[in-house]
Order: sequence, then C-alpha cells, then structure tokens
Amino acid sequence: MTRTNISASLLVIGLLATSVSLFAHHGAASYDTSKTITVTGTVAEYVWANPHVFVKVDAKDDSGNIVRWNIEAWNPVTQANRGWSKSTFKPGDEVVIETRPVKNGQPIGQFAGKIEINGKQFKLHND
Amino acid sequence: MGKCSAISTLGLVMVLTFAPKLRSQTPAPNAATDSAKKWNSVPPPMSAYVGKKSGPAPRRDLSGTWDAAGMQEALGTSGAIEHPALFPGRKGSEGGRPDETGIEHPLPYTPLGLAALKANKPSGPGVRQVHAALTNDPAGKCDPLGFPYMELWEFRTVKLVQTANQVILISPFYGNYRIIWTDGRELPTDPDPRWNGYSVGKWVDDYTFVVETVGLNPNSWIDHAGRPHSDQLRVTEEFHRVDHDNLQLTMTINDPKMYTEPWLALNKLPLHLQPADFDIPELLCSPSEMAEYNDQIGSGAAAEKK
Repeated sequence: MTRTNISASLLVIGLLATSVSLFAHHGAASYDTSKTITVTGTVAEYVWANPHVFVKVDAKDDSGNIVRWNIEAWNPVTQANRGWSKSTFKPGDEVVIETRPVKNGQPIGQFAGKIEINGKQFKLHND
Repeated sequence: MGKCSAISTLGLVMVLTFAPKLRSQTPAPNAATDSAKKWNSVPPPMSAYVGKKSGPAPRRDLSGTWDAAGMQEALGTSGAIEHPALFPGRKGSEGGRPDETGIEHPLPYTPLGLAALKANKPSGPGVRQVHAALTNDPAGKCDPLGFPYMELWEFRTVKLVQTANQVILISPFYGNYRIIWTDGRELPTDPDPRWNGYSVGKWVDDYTFVVETVGLNPNSWIDHAGRPHSDQLRVTEEFHRVDHDNLQLTMTINDPKMYTEPWLALNKLPLHLQPADFDIPELLCSPSEMAEYNDQIGSGAAAEKK
C-alpha cells in the first residue's frame, strides 16, 4: 500500500461544527458530530429504501483489509429533492465519500459532505 | 327576438370556429418538454413565496395540495414545533437526559404525564434522544403514526379533498389519511380507540374551519419527541384560509390526564397551495426495509464501543 493508493486509506479530514438542522435525523445520537472521515472504496450495494437510503462500500483499511462500510443518507423523497435517484450509485462504482462516523468505531456513517463517483464530483450532501 | 337569436347563433358559430384555433396556438404548458416533471413533484423552497401576491380566499374551501414549505420548520424532528425538546438556543439535540428539565418551552406534565414521557424513548434529535436501535417509537416499527403524530412530525405535502359531508386529508408520508365529518354529527362518547381518532369539523366563519378529534389510540405518541397522550386526548385544529394561496394550521393539545393545561402544538403553521397537477411523492414505512436498516445501520451504530 502506498500513500498514492487513496483507496487504501481512511482519512480523518477535520472537525465540523454542527447544528440541529444538520441532524434532524433519527438515530443521530449514534454519530460523532466532531469528526469527518473520507471513505474510499467500491460500491457493493445501493439500497434505495425507507426509512433511509444507504450505500454499502467496500474500503480497505490501513492494514489492507476490506471493510464493509454502511453509509446512510435520508429518506428517498428528501434525497430525490436533492437530485438523487435509484441509480445514483451502482455496484462496482469507485467512490469517495465524506462520512460522519458512529461513535463506537463501527464502519457505519452518514453522508457528511463531498461525494465522488468514478472520479466525478457528485452533488454535495449539503443539509 | 329573431335578431338576438341570429346574433347569438353567429356568436356561437364564431366561438366554435375559432376556439380550436385559439387552443392550437396556445402551447400546452410543459406537456412536451419533460413528462417526467409531472411526477414526484418537488415543492419550492420557502423563499419562493416571499412577496408573492395572492388572490382572495374562496369561501369555505380548503381543497387543494398544500405544502408546509421550509421543511426544517415543519419536520418537527425534535417534537411539536412550538415545544421542541431542545435547550435554549436549540441546543441539546443529542440526548443524554432522562427528562425534559430545562428545555426552552417546557410542557405542563402531570405526574402521570412525566412518567409516561420517561417511558417513551425517542430517536429524533432532542434532549432525550436514544440510538435508533433502542427507540420504542411506534414509527420505528412502522406502526401507524396516528393523529396528531402525523401532523407534528414530517408534515410534508398534503392533499385536502372536500366532499358534501367530509373533509379528507391525505398525507403520503407514512401513508396517512384522515376523515373529518362535516355533516353535523356529534363526536362519540367513550369510543373504541382509533389511531386516527374520530373527527368532526365545522366552519366558524367563511375562512376558518375548526376540527375536534377524540378517541385516539394511546399507543401512539403525540410527536417525535415521545410526548405521551391518554385516551382522554382531545385535539383542536384551526385551518384558516388567509387568501387563495395560503392556509394556516393551529393545533391545541388537551389531555387532562397527561398535562395540567392545554398547550399549543402548532401556531399558524403556514401551508402553501401547490399547482393542481402537483404529484405528491410516496414515502411509506416498509417494515422489511426498516428491519434491514436496523440490522445494517441501527444495531451496529448502537453497539457498545469496541
């Protein structure tokens, strides 16, 4: 693994201020509001469902092991209003997703900023 | 008479002759541009209504598609909009408190009400928030939201239909509906509980429709912050048609078992009329999809730290 192999690293990129509107979200108590992690990997599955849309991403950790991340967005209507659809992600897509992780260290998070799909910048998840 | 008749006939002939031509010259709005836009309509943001002029309100008419613009305000994720379970400055969204002591707009709980509150574990942001996997929110199991929960949480775009003897509210969020009788019947006394209750409505003036609802199922919550209610809950709503494009909804909660006095849950919540062809998107609660979410996200997120 090299530094240029971005897919092999999870990078804590900074601290973000939070607000209620940012977390007008059920289950948000689980998330670490002080942290953003960039998850880089391959889409395994994209679940367009209620209550929340989520994407499963296989990313390598620092030891080179594949870690399955589950990253959630909001409900389909809210996501559709932001230009998402059932085909925003496809299995096999190479993605870079800024993620707000859960507090307990599990590979679970919320979309928290930039999204890159196959090298192209997608809409910011700007709630 | 003959002359009048001849003129009328001529007029009719002209109308029939020219009407199709006039129609053909008027482009059908959006029809050919993108039929996909006709589906899953997206309501405009609140800023779209600023300074917008409206015609006068029609008399005794609520029918139409209405959107509570400014989603964050109408979402009620921290509880009833007038009483969010948040500290002053809208702080304390991440839980950690067993009760609501110190919130900005406290509710007048009875001792029974406070005990019932503590038994309810909300997952929405607020001072009592718990992990999604630990909530006992009826909505967390895709139980019916019931009333008034359906209007105090995620009150999105709704459709109001008026018939000769009912007003019907259709709220596609979680597939809710309400039937409000306007035929003059009395509310039932000591009815069997219903998730959506028993509702009667009447016009108190030409632009103000008042609805009373009783017989509500105490298994439901009042809002997403876990505010409880008993079988004695009585909800009063006032739909006030301000003008053609604007409606305001005010809601009062009265439950003497749980609260020492009535309280205002919504205070003139603005609702905006949408175009007649607005297609409200679907947002249902699927138990199997909820189970997968809890399995993949909720349970793991709530697990003890490694």
